[in-house]
Amino acid sequence: MSRVGVFVCHCGENIGSTVDCPEVAERCKQMPGVVHAEDYKYLCSNPGQNKIKQAIKDHQLEGVVVAACSPRMHEPTFRRAVTDAGMNAYLCEVANLREHCSWVHEEADSTTEKAVDLVRLQLEKVKRNKPLQPIEVPITKTALVIGGGVAGIQAALDIADSGHKVILVERSPALGGHMAQLSETFPTLDCSQCILTPRMVDVSRHPNITLMTYSEVEHLDGFIGNFKATIRKRARKIDEELCTGCGECLQKCPSKDISDGFNEGLTTRRAIYVPFTQAVPNIPVIDVENCRHYQKKKCDRCVKACPTKAISFNQQDELIHVDVGAIVVATGYKVMSTEKFPEYGYGTYPDVITGLQFERYASASGPTQGVIKRPSDGKEPETVVFIACSGSRDAAKGVKYCSKICCMYTAKHAMLLKHKNHNSKAYVFYMDIRAAGKNYDEFVRRAIEEDGVKYIRGRVSRVYEEDGKLVVKGADTLLGGRPVEIKADLVVLATASLPNDGQSELARKLHVGCDEYGFLAEAHPKLKPVETNTAGIYLAGACQSPRDIPETVAQASAAAAKVAALLSRSHLTREPIVAEVNRRPAPLHSDCTGCFLCESACPYRAIGQEEILDRDGIVIKTIAKINPGLCQGCGTCVATCRTKAIDLHGFSNEQIFAEIMSL
Amino acid sequence: MEVLRNKAQDLLAQGQAQIVIGYEAGTGGIRRPSFARTAADTARLVWDADCISNLAGYLTRPEIKRMGKTAIVANASTLRALLQLTAERQLAEDAVLALAVAEDGTVTELATAQAVTDHVAALPDALSAADREQMNLLASMSREERWVYWEKELQRCIKCYACRSSCPMCYCGTCTMDCNKPQWVPVPSHALGNLEYHTVRAMHLAGRCVECGECGRACPVGIPIHLLTCFAEESVHQQFGQKAGASAKLDYALGTFRPDDKESFIR
Repeated sequence: MSRVGVFVCHCGENIGSTVDCPEVAERCKQMPGVVHAEDYKYLCSNPGQNKIKQAIKDHQLEGVVVAACSPRMHEPTFRRAVTDAGMNAYLCEVANLREHCSWVHEEADSTTEKAVDLVRLQLEKVKRNKPLQPIEVPITKTALVIGGGVAGIQAALDIADSGHKVILVERSPALGGHMAQLSETFPTLDCSQCILTPRMVDVSRHPNITLMTYSEVEHLDGFIGNFKATIRKRARKIDEELCTGCGECLQKCPSKDISDGFNEGLTTRRAIYVPFTQAVPNIPVIDVENCRHYQKKKCDRCVKACPTKAISFNQQDELIHVDVGAIVVATGYKVMSTEKFPEYGYGTYPDVITGLQFERYASASGPTQGVIKRPSDGKEPETVVFIACSGSRDAAKGVKYCSKICCMYTAKHAMLLKHKNHNSKAYVFYMDIRAAGKNYDEFVRRAIEEDGVKYIRGRVSRVYEEDGKLVVKGADTLLGGRPVEIKADLVVLATASLPNDGQSELARKLHVGCDEYGFLAEAHPKLKPVETNTAGIYLAGACQSPRDIPETVAQASAAAAKVAALLSRSHLTREPIVAEVNRRPAPLHSDCTGCFLCESACPYRAIGQEEILDRDGIVIKTIAKINPGLCQGCGTCVATCRTKAIDLHGFSNEQIFAEIMSL
Repeated sequence: MEVLRNKAQDLLAQGQAQIVIGYEAGTGGIRRPSFARTAADTARLVWDADCISNLAGYLTRPEIKRMGKTAIVANASTLRALLQLTAERQLAEDAVLALAVAEDGTVTELATAQAVTDHVAALPDALSAADREQMNLLASMSREERWVYWEKELQRCIKCYACRSSCPMCYCGTCTMDCNKPQWVPVPSHALGNLEYHTVRAMHLAGRCVECGECGRACPVGIPIHLLTCFAEESVHQQFGQKAGASAKLDYALGTFRPDDKESFIR
C-alpha cells in the first residue's frame, strides 16, 4: 500500500474562503493510501514547505499531493521542497484547488466536494508515479536574433557584450527597421537617426555579431539550447566582399520610377539601391523585379559603372545552416492600410497621408530634408489635421486594441509642425489622450499649452475636397457633440499598428503562439513577459504588441538577459516528461506497428525510426522512436497511436485511467 | 480467365512472384481467396463480378511476407487498400505486383505505387449502389435518429471481432481492444462495451478506411457496420478533402495540420 501525504493550502483567502480546507484534509485521511493529511494557510511559504519536509520524514511518505494553486505557479516550489527531504521530485503532484475550484465557484458544500474529488484524482495519479530523472542536454552558445530594428539591435548588442556569439538576421537589405524612418523621438525630441545609426555601426563592427541582412529564417528544428536554423540568404546580386559602397552603380541605373519603401512611397528609387544613405551595411541590392537586366535581358550599366566588378547577376539564394542555443524574435510591426477608411479619403486625395509618411517629411533625411510639405503641390501646409485612432480601438472596422504609440507621436507631429512653421495651425481629433510614461503627459501638455495645438475630442466623420482645401467634418464631444468643420491643407492619419507581414508564418516555423490579433504571445502576461511557450525563444519589441522605443529597448535588454543567463550555463536540465514507445518480448518486440502516423502528428518533429535487428543484424521490425531531447511531452502521439504503444512518462495511460475511474 | 491463369503461371515460372493471391470458386457460388504457389495451383484462379472481397489483408500477414514477392489479383478495393498500406509503411513501396483484370479479361500489371495510384484515380465510387442508398438515408437522419439507429443495430453485436479480422487496415499486432493495462474498453458485449468498441474502431478508421465493406460482409449477425466507418471516412473527405487509398503518400487528416484549416481556433 502507498504511503501518501496530502497537504491542503488555504492560499490565504483564495482557496480558504470558498473551500472548507480542514474538511478536505479530514476527508483525505479516509482515502486508501493516505497516511497523513493536513491543511495550512500558505504552503508555499517557508514554514509551509517545512511542514511537507517534516511529514515526509515523520511518516516515511512515498508520495505527496499538494492541493493548492495552479501547478504552473508552484509545482517547481513543491518539487524542490520534497527533493530537499530526499524524495524524487516527480513523486509530488499538485491538485489545483484555486483556478479549478475556489476561484470559479461560490462557497458551498459542493465546492468542498469538488475539491475533495480533485485531490482524489491526484492521489490516484501519485500512487502510480514513478521516480523520474531530469534529462541533461548541452547548450550551443550562440544566439539567433530575428529582426534588425531597434529591438533586434539592442538584444544583439547586449548578448554580444555578455560574451556570447550572435547571429542577427534582418529581412530587408539594411538594419534600422521603422526607427530609422522616424524624424524626432518623443518625449525628448532627439533625432531618431542620430541615436540609432551609431548602434547600427556597433552591430556591424562587433566581433561577436554575425550580421545577415536580406536574409530570412526558412526553417527551425530542435529545442532550447540546441536549435538548428536554416537561413535563406537572398541574393543581393552584389558580391559583398568586393563592394566598397562607392555608389557609382546607383547613379547609372536607368530604372528610376520605383516606389521607395523607406520613404513610404513619397519618392522613387532605382532598381539598384541602398535603402537610405546611412544604411548598414552600405551595400546596394538589385531589385530583380524592376531591373532591366532581368526583365528585358539587356541592361548592364551598373556592371560597367562598378570599379570593383562587384555586380554578380548570377548570384543565387544561399541556404545557410546554423546551430543556435537561444532565439530572440524582434520582427516588429507594420501600419494598417488605410483602405478600410474610405471616408478619410486616403488614396483619393494626395494630401491625406499616414503618420509614417509625415515622419519622412519631418525627417532631415527625408524627401524634403525636413521641411514639412504636402504631396500634391509641394507647398508648406498652413493648417494640418491629425486624426488619432485611425483604426485603433475600432472593433467595427479596425482593431480592438489601442496602438499605444499614436497619442504620443501625434502630439510630437503637431509640435514639430509648429516648430518648423510658426504660422501653422495644428488640430488633433482624439478619443482619449493616453500619455502614461515618464515625461509623457508633460509632453502632451506642452504641445497644447506652449505650442498651441488644438485638441478636439471627437471622431471625424468625413474628409472631402472643396476649393483646393480638405474639409474635415467631425464632432466635438466635449461641447455636446457640436459639429466641427476644419478646412485643412494636410490630413495625417495615425493608423493602427499591426503584426508584421509574414509574422504568423514565422510563428509556425518557430512553434511559438500568436494572440487573437496575430501578435506573438508571451508565456505569461506578468511573470514571463519576454518568454514564449517554446523554451529558448524570447520576444522583444512590437512583434508582441504595439510598443514605443523605450519599452522596446527595455524588453530587448530583458530578452538579452534571459539569453545570456541561458548561454552562461554549461548544460541544461529538461523535464523528464517525455513520451516513449514501448518494447515487448519477441515476436512482437513492440506494440508499435510502424505506421508512423505519430510522426506526422508530432509538432516537434521528435519522432524518428528505430530498426529492431536480430542477432545477424537483419531488420526484423521498424518502429517509431522518440527523441527525448526534442519531445516536449505534449502527448499528441499518445492520442494518435491506435495500439497504445506510446506512453508519456508522468502522465501514463495507467495514471490517466486511474484518475478517471476514481471519480 | 485464361489470360489471368497464364499470367499467374508465367510470373511463378519466371520467378517474378513466389505467390499469386487471387480468387477461386468457393461453396455456394461465392468466391474465396486462393493462394497459388505452383503452376498447378493457378488452374483454380477465377475472375468474375463475384470477386468482391478485399484481399489486401493477406499482404500484411507475416506468413505471406515470408514467402517472397507477392502478386495479387486486385479489385478496386484491394488496390485502394494496397495504397493505404503502403502509405502507412506496412508494405514496402513496389513490393507487391498488382494484377488488374479488365472486363474483357485482359490483365494489366501494376508494378509501382504510382501505377496503382493512376489506375485507382480512374475507378468509380467505392460504394455499391445499395450502400450508397443506405449512406444517404443515414445522412438524412438527425443526430438523434442516427443514435437510435446505431444503438439498435449495435445491440446485436456479439463482439466476435470478425469485422476487425476482415479489415485490411486492422493490421495492428496489439489491438487497443486487447489492451488490459489499463482496460480502456470493457470486454463484454453489453451495450456500453459494444458502443465503445465500434466508436473507437470508427475513429481509428476515419481517414484510413478504403470503404471496401469487408467488415459488413463478415458480420455474422448482419450489422451493416461498414456504414459506420464509411460515414466517418466520408466526413473526413468532405471536411478535409482527403481520401484514404487514393495515394501511397501519407496524408492523415487526424494527425496533420494545415495553415489553411477552416477552424480559426487551431491557428
